[in-house]
Amino acid sequence: MSNAIETRGLVYRAGKSFEIRDLALNVPAGSMYGFLGPNGAGKTTTIRLLLGLLRPVSGAITVLDRRIPREAPRVLQRTGYVPESPHLYSTLTVAEAIAFHHAFYPGWDQGWADELLAMFGLVRDRRLARLSKGEMGKLMMLLALAQRPELLVLDEPTDGLDPVVRRDVLSALLEYVAQHNATVFISSHLVHELERICDWVGVMDRGRLVAELPMHSFKSGIKRIRLSDPPALPGDTPFVLLNREPAEGSVETWVVRGWQPPMAQYFEGVGASVREVVDLDLEEGFVELLRTFRVNPD
Amino acid sequence: MFKVVFLTQWKWSRTAVLAGVFAAFALPILSVQQAGVFAGPTRELPGHARRLLDTVQTWGIAYPLLALVLGVLVAVTAWAADHRGRHVYALALPVPRWHYVLLRFAAGGALLLAPLAALGVGALLASASVTLPPGLQAYPVALTVRFGLALLVAYAVIFSISAGTPRTAAIVLSAIAFLVAVEVLAAAVHAPIDPLQFLGSRVLSGPFGIFTGRWMLIDV
Repeated sequence: MSNAIETRGLVYRAGKSFEIRDLALNVPAGSMYGFLGPNGAGKTTTIRLLLGLLRPVSGAITVLDRRIPREAPRVLQRTGYVPESPHLYSTLTVAEAIAFHHAFYPGWDQGWADELLAMFGLVRDRRLARLSKGEMGKLMMLLALAQRPELLVLDEPTDGLDPVVRRDVLSALLEYVAQHNATVFISSHLVHELERICDWVGVMDRGRLVAELPMHSFKSGIKRIRLSDPPALPGDTPFVLLNREPAEGSVETWVVRGWQPPMAQYFEGVGASVREVVDLDLEEGFVELLRTFRVNPD
Repeated sequence: MFKVVFLTQWKWSRTAVLAGVFAAFALPILSVQQAGVFAGPTRELPGHARRLLDTVQTWGIAYPLLALVLGVLVAVTAWAADHRGRHVYALALPVPRWHYVLLRFAAGGALLLAPLAALGVGALLASASVTLPPGLQAYPVALTVRFGLALLVAYAVIFSISAGTPRTAAIVLSAIAFLVAVEVLAAAVHAPIDPLQFLGSRVLSGPFGIFTGRWMLIDV
């Protein structure tokens, strides 16, 4: 499978306090890629680098088989972008904003834009400055979808939206992806939302990519294991030990990544016994990953 | 693309442009109306030509001022909306940056043609409406061309400055502050250097020179 987005050794610095270091992203074509990270992790900066809005210090970025930032305009023609905060000209009306956007995109589908306008209940002659946050979110999604993009880059697209609006926006997105097999790169801190819709996940923290793997591996591979008589030093484990915490008596709780049931033999070999193996949901896995990364960044 | 960029520019700067059209049309007519007291049947009375020229010259100050104000307002409005959105929208549009800048520049420039045309029409009407004393002539076309160049200089300079980031503005302001500080220090120690005067003479002898001198609709 080819990649819709690929970065190699990407470095970017913003002032003295923030840096994106050696970022190597691989977003498979046709995937729904969830880009997770706490506030200030560098998600928005990474997205701006991917679209050529910022220029990296070094490294290579390829989006839709074209080099960024050199070929950014060609890539942007095929990319729908919803930024983190509203960026449209607030003095325009909804109809004017649509007309303005339409003029720049050769693949614009006015029929579908009209359908989305009706579906989202947006009023054509209302000024953008008077739109609610939800209406603005819908309009930005409309603009991104009606240009019929091959790639959608969505930076916290549902942040601050109420559940009804969020559902409308996500259903329009999912319908489009189902029909056109577009790639979606979506950043969010709403972990459960991404868990539902994404098939790949990348986790970023402090300007570095902590993990990148298919969602099913992420969800099934991270476990919380309750152990009796665990070894003081784990030695060579067949899994990645993310965290260990004492429980009561000789019982400990381990959080591990890359778990497979046959690996239980390891514990027999070190004289420990497995009491319980619990699946972690994406949010718990995400938190454990970040905790481990912060203790041992390398 | 140009059409939609032009329409946004019109929306943002139409008040300034319409006021500019009105003022540019009215200026030459008002100046000639006031000066007309010294023309017409009494035009050959001694000293009248001089007083007519003085009146026209007094009104002449308004032309470069109007050009400056209009150029600045249209240039600032060209970028104000993009500044508010931190240029994210403009940068995310699928056109090269130079192309977008050119579209914005051309849209503002096209709008400034309206007050320029208004001044041309006003100047022609004003010239035709007055009987001049012997030795004086009207220069409506020359005045219009000069007004157009002044508009272009004001618009282009402010457009390029306001296109920059706040950091660029900070650099420009810091440079000016540095020159002022040097000027103050030099004056305090009686040093024979005057950076502000030096800068002023360089600027005014360059393209900004168009704003100086006499702006005369009627002259010898």
